[in-house]
Amino acid sequence: MIEREVDIAIIGGGPAGLSAAIAAKKSGIDDILLIERNESLGGILNQCIHEGFGIEIFGEALTGPEYMQRFIDKVEQLKIPYMLNSMVLDINEKKCITVCSPEDLIKVKAKAIVLAMGCRERTRGQICIPGTRPSGIYTAGCAQNLINLKNYMVGKKIVILGSGDIGLIMARRFKLEGAEVLAVVEILPYSSGLPRNVVQCLEDYDIPLYLRHTVVDIRGIKRVEEVVIAEVDEKRRPIKGTERRIECDTLLLSVGLIPENELSKMAGVSLDPITNGSMVNENLETNVKGIFACGNVLHVHDLVDHVTLEAELAGESAAAFVKGELRNESNIKVTAGKGIRYVLPHLISGKNDVKFSLRVMYPDRDKKIVVRDGERILKKIPKMRINPSEMIQFNIKKEYLKDVKGLTIELE
Amino acid sequence: MKGSSFDFIIIGGGIVGCAIARELSRYGTKTILLERESDVAMGISGRNSGVVHAGFYVEPGSLKAETNVLGHRMMPKICHDLDVPYREVGKIVVAKNEREIKDLYKLKDNGDKNGVKGLRIIDREEIKEIEPEVEGIKALYSPTSAILDPFLLNVALAENALQNGVRILLNTEVTDIKGNGSFIVKTKRGEFRSEFVINSAGLFSDKIAEMVGIDRYRIYPCRGEYHILDKNRRHLIRGMVYPVPPREPGGLGIHLTPTTDDNIFIGPSAEYIEEREDTANTEEVMERLYAEAKELLPKISKRDFIRSFAGIRPKLIKPDAKKPRDFVIEESIDNFINLIGIESPGLTSAPAIAKKVVEIIKKKKRLKKNRKFNPERKAPVRFSKLSDEEKSELIRKNPDYGRIVCRCETVTRQEIIDALKNPLGAKNIYGVRKRSKATCGRCQGGFCIPKIVEVMEELSHPSIDDLTLKGDNSKLFIGRTKDLRKND
Amino acid sequence: MKKKFICIVCPNGCEIEVRYSEGEIEKISGNLCERGLDYVKRELFSPERSITSSVEVRNGLLPLVSVKTSKPIPKERIFALMDEIANIEVEAPVRIGDVIVKDVLGTGADIIATKNVDKRVQS
Repeated sequence: MIEREVDIAIIGGGPAGLSAAIAAKKSGIDDILLIERNESLGGILNQCIHEGFGIEIFGEALTGPEYMQRFIDKVEQLKIPYMLNSMVLDINEKKCITVCSPEDLIKVKAKAIVLAMGCRERTRGQICIPGTRPSGIYTAGCAQNLINLKNYMVGKKIVILGSGDIGLIMARRFKLEGAEVLAVVEILPYSSGLPRNVVQCLEDYDIPLYLRHTVVDIRGIKRVEEVVIAEVDEKRRPIKGTERRIECDTLLLSVGLIPENELSKMAGVSLDPITNGSMVNENLETNVKGIFACGNVLHVHDLVDHVTLEAELAGESAAAFVKGELRNESNIKVTAGKGIRYVLPHLISGKNDVKFSLRVMYPDRDKKIVVRDGERILKKIPKMRINPSEMIQFNIKKEYLKDVKGLTIELE
Repeated sequence: MKGSSFDFIIIGGGIVGCAIARELSRYGTKTILLERESDVAMGISGRNSGVVHAGFYVEPGSLKAETNVLGHRMMPKICHDLDVPYREVGKIVVAKNEREIKDLYKLKDNGDKNGVKGLRIIDREEIKEIEPEVEGIKALYSPTSAILDPFLLNVALAENALQNGVRILLNTEVTDIKGNGSFIVKTKRGEFRSEFVINSAGLFSDKIAEMVGIDRYRIYPCRGEYHILDKNRRHLIRGMVYPVPPREPGGLGIHLTPTTDDNIFIGPSAEYIEEREDTANTEEVMERLYAEAKELLPKISKRDFIRSFAGIRPKLIKPDAKKPRDFVIEESIDNFINLIGIESPGLTSAPAIAKKVVEIIKKKKRLKKNRKFNPERKAPVRFSKLSDEEKSELIRKNPDYGRIVCRCETVTRQEIIDALKNPLGAKNIYGVRKRSKATCGRCQGGFCIPKIVEVMEELSHPSIDDLTLKGDNSKLFIGRTKDLRKND
Repeated sequence: MKKKFICIVCPNGCEIEVRYSEGEIEKISGNLCERGLDYVKRELFSPERSITSSVEVRNGLLPLVSVKTSKPIPKERIFALMDEIANIEVEAPVRIGDVIVKDVLGTGADIIATKNVDKRVQS
């Protein structure tokens, strides 16, 4: 067994981990260890071969691999140490990390930890789709990995459950490679993906979109042979008599992402039940001193550019912590009010500028996001269009946060 | 293999068939086991709760009772010899009203008549001590009820039988049997002759019996659906928690059963169905299972489900029958031994059923002891169960122990290799799953299936059509990424 | 003829309705700016798309390299382009920016690599 100490350990070498590492290095910390479980850095971006990454950070519409390479090159250039094929098995409350690597089992005692593990996909079992358990049922990310990285085509006749961006991107991917996409099925009355993607992934290819529908049965003994979809009511229960059978060989599930916080729980980090990510303060520090979180493990993002900026803050905070310069005076609670699903950070100090991130509960037009401290309104942000699938971010300068007792962010 | 002659052909590689195979391998016999699926434990034996019953549900004087009690007694040593996880977690059967309390006493009485040890009726206070999360006024406490891993037991029995000289052929479905007193068994992969045939074909045992003209048995498939709870809910119960069984003969009520991998099973339900292979889950039953489980354990929620599945009971009674039927363990025609209707407590009874089969055989044929018989079989390493020092030592000798493939269950690359190199020759995802537990976690293979396929490719360079979920045509892929657009 | 569009040029997502015939827009409503008009014109008469996909690699550490078109191509040529690149193999090593196919199908767009794929070390 190898035992070592490190100033900052970063768990996950995807976009969040890469940017946190670079930021920590630029803040003056050299003793960094970036721990990645796959054979290469880049995380999920390795398989996101479509465009749309980097519009805010680089002003270009890059593909996932191109975006990740810029940060991987920087990590190499800055000579930041990293480990590949290395899975963290455990973190305890004393910030001791157990890493399983092909070299040995390694115990790393870190002064600061940045959690950047990303998220996993919701499965069929978690949403209890009735039917048999044949081959041909894949979550979207798993299929994306198989098609784009492992060179396997998973099926010829596809039905996709979930019209979020991932489902839409995969619909197009299948069509481009010659498969038939028979339907995209969405339980909500609207697609949760960006309008651009609905146009370029569904309309361009005449793929039917069934809104207010869900999959109620899967048939096939060995391989998927057909799925049955049905309309749902306001309570999202299937309506008898609206069933429709679709012959297919593949069911793709794009039904949600869940931040991967098993390790965080082991370390004693408290989670927010709405985001399934850690509770954090304005420095992105969790309730465990010296443990920070950023990226999809904190809350699921739509734009990788936001992940990068968030991770930079986490890396800077971790570096400040190691240097003994991080003051934790975040005692002011931030609450998600009417119409707001969640807001980050959960706690602020009132002494620094803060960037807030939030998601609304329902799509709407011509609304205002109101930031208030009790009765006193600090800021009103008008929005022409709001959508739960588009994260909203805004800054508030510290001058406005002076003497604040508690913040509520709500919709008007 | 054509024209090969055997002493014994065992039809069916479930828990009963493999237990019989192992038992017969104690003697110098030419024995072959024929299994129609791509692996053992693919039928009923791969879809149950993994419970080792103490013996208080079964009717005193029946074969079920006799084999249950004997099997329960034999199991700890068998699991120890075969290196299979076995845990005496205990069981409470909870009564919520006066009528149910009466039934509890009936169960205890049954158990006492069957010779079950340690049974006692406990009150609310003691229920709270044993199971703090459970509500109930009285319960029957069975301290010797246990759980084991039914897949690993089935696999281990088969491997030990193989080790001791039994031949096992997978992907070999029996299509016809001719003869009386000595038989020709026709399969999709050739013909086999044998002096004896042992029919342990589970859900198809009636069909196999029919092949030699025994048509007095008919199986009525009765499906039981289950939910599997995430490990992070394991702490909600200590041992098994069952309600008092309903009065209609069908199932046993909605149970909560922990597994040796620290999940909890909710179920099974009991519905008679038409198609004996229809292992689908249905919306109504899934909802009902959830609602009833929530009555027993208010703290669970649907978000804790990681998977649902269903198994089929091979019932010998019709849906409207008043009384259950006993196991059929008999030599129906000369040298043809039938095991039919082996539903619960079939898993527990299996080793005892095997002993009974050998007794039947001994009356007809002299069996010589196999001097080289080794009852022990060592399981491959389970990395996740080792201490840090043990893990470190393994990795330093073999870096494939340092590469995690299944992150939810902490299964290493070497364990995937071990699972794929299994002596029975099962080479699909389910085969890997049974043996290594990869894909059994909360992500259900979303992360590890691509990696398992990589290992499969490296080890045996299979054709794409041979990469399957569970054998046969359960193909994972239809080709390479570019195949649908390539010029032919 | 009438058609409705959701403009994707900026986050406003204007719902634009157009009446048009034979290559000419007769009436347009719903757009807040000129860019919306340009977008609709192009979508109606000469829609173009950027395409991302993958190409098989020979002797690489990975079996596929992700690729993109260097600029948008006419929408009606998408499937022909996909058929074309399905039959190509590129030899490792590949670097981001490498031109895999120049002026694919005469569209003026190149197919360029978007990922680095190193050569597989033969042992």
